[in-house]
Amino acid sequence: MYASGSLMPYPRVVVIGGGVTGAAAAYDLAQRGMRVTLLERGSIGSGTSGRTHGLLHSGCRYVGDTEVARECYLENMTLRRIAPFLVEKNGGLFVAVTEEDLGYLDEFLEGCGRAGIPVRQLDPREALRLEPELNPGLKAAVAVPDGTFDPLKVIYSFLASARRYGAEARPYSEVTGIEVRGGRAVAVEVYDKVSMRRYRLETDFVVNAAGPWAAGVAALAGVEVPVRPSPGVMVAFEGRLGNMVFNRLNPPSDGDIVIHQRGVSVAGTTSWLVDDPDGVEAPRSHVELIVRRAAEMAPRAAELPVRAVYVSSRPLLGAAGGSGRGVSRSFEVYDHEYDGVAGFATVAGGKFTTARLMAEKLGDLVSEKLGVDAASRTAEEPLTPYWLYF
Amino acid sequence: MEWRLLVKRWKEGWGEPRYQEYVVDADPDTSVLDALEKAWLGDRSLVFEHACHHGVCGACGMVINGAERLACITRLGDVAVGRTVVVEPLRGFPVVSDLAVDKSRMFRASAEVSPATLEPAPGRGAEGIPGRAAVRPEKLLDCLECGICYSACPIARTMENYMGPGALALASKTLELTGDWGRVAPALERRGVWSCHAAFECSVRCPTGFDPGGLIMVLRGRALRRGGVG
Repeated sequence: MYASGSLMPYPRVVVIGGGVTGAAAAYDLAQRGMRVTLLERGSIGSGTSGRTHGLLHSGCRYVGDTEVARECYLENMTLRRIAPFLVEKNGGLFVAVTEEDLGYLDEFLEGCGRAGIPVRQLDPREALRLEPELNPGLKAAVAVPDGTFDPLKVIYSFLASARRYGAEARPYSEVTGIEVRGGRAVAVEVYDKVSMRRYRLETDFVVNAAGPWAAGVAALAGVEVPVRPSPGVMVAFEGRLGNMVFNRLNPPSDGDIVIHQRGVSVAGTTSWLVDDPDGVEAPRSHVELIVRRAAEMAPRAAELPVRAVYVSSRPLLGAAGGSGRGVSRSFEVYDHEYDGVAGFATVAGGKFTTARLMAEKLGDLVSEKLGVDAASRTAEEPLTPYWLYF
Repeated sequence: MEWRLLVKRWKEGWGEPRYQEYVVDADPDTSVLDALEKAWLGDRSLVFEHACHHGVCGACGMVINGAERLACITRLGDVAVGRTVVVEPLRGFPVVSDLAVDKSRMFRASAEVSPATLEPAPGRGAEGIPGRAAVRPEKLLDCLECGICYSACPIARTMENYMGPGALALASKTLELTGDWGRVAPALERRGVWSCHAAFECSVRCPTGFDPGGLIMVLRGRALRRGGVG
């Protein structure tokens, strides 16, 4: 058993993936004493995490699943506590603009109550006073504890925190193989795009935190994980339409959110399923749909120049077909010992908002497997600011 | 339609950088960043930094047809000269690989002043909302720390220990927001605001209008009025 004061060097862990999940995992594992090397094929945050709209979810979008909603809300509060300097803590509104939206109100409020998320119904006039860009015909508004964060700087802050505990991040380092010997992952093959060198890195444990690329990484060890890439389109406008996040009061659907960060507002999103998250382009029809739906909540969205259109692929769990909306948004930690490869785990699914919790659950598994006697403290300790990563 | 990307590449062990041509098929409103990603699909050794793809994270600052820009909000059709776009890494930083540079000098200079990150936002939004601690709405500062101002600044490019426009502008903003002179003391040293030659290239190139040059002048002015110029 490894414990504080132990004379044995702590075990080595390789984390594959430099998004928020990998960065949070590196932090959690390093804080428990493990010697962590994070490998990312591109630049830090260049996959899904960097491309999120940056919504710190209140959980209200997921009230259809009480556990997921509660988990989201609690992690929202945790991230505010450990990294308040990276969150625009302006709350959010769920707004009804049609009679149909209004029909969802009671179910929505009940769901928030079940999940323990504090919300407050506002008089539509009060909502319009707070956020004058909202549709003047809005029929109902509920204030929720949403927020907006700076995704890349949150990732770098997790990495800065990980580095304080000795972890090392290597961007531009693609894992091209996982060496399995005697039913155990013992090393990874790395293609270093800076030195153009290929090398082998021995390790005691491999963590797959490759998001929508997780199935491909798991396949390197001959293991299957049920992660499907589900792209969504986002449209960023020139200009900021408000402070509180605008959510359409309806069950999760296309184009039901407008969030504001710095000088821009971003509307999204859509959802479909692909096999390969690389090279996905935004269908024009999705862009038109998103702008139209955004304008239903905030009419001026239709007039603002478009600053950028982009696509980000979520890592959805389960092999379900269809649009991907029905697939669970919660996360899983897969212990691949059950698949015949010990010393290998995949952490997948979830939301950016819940990355710290995902890392904690992963850390629990890895600690148990490697005999490390340490509990996660990532929820209590403030994150080290990103500028100290460099 | 086809576009020609001429990308300045350099890898460890190469004596000199070289320009490599990539031909990509794209609409004129495709961003230079998306065009680079298309090139990367065919050449996975191509290294560049990117994250948000909508101009709020600052990762993809590059020199595009001679001027510093964020590749994600620069459209091919707006910058190409005869369908050709030349893409080079930012100046003023050591090159890591191809288009990726090491921006440590900027972040280390920022770290010296532990910059503020949030400021009050216009509007009322958020008053009395659950989960909201402060009363006034807030927003993240417009500075993305993209490094474009360091690349554009003639002093930052030639004076290695100059704190640089981004960090100094953040120091100026931090003083404005906190009134804490102690925190911004490093910015008032010789390698701080006094080394700026007021070329204002930083403000011309800044992709968000943060106006580093103007903020440096504000901090200088306040320091002069306060006395004790060092």
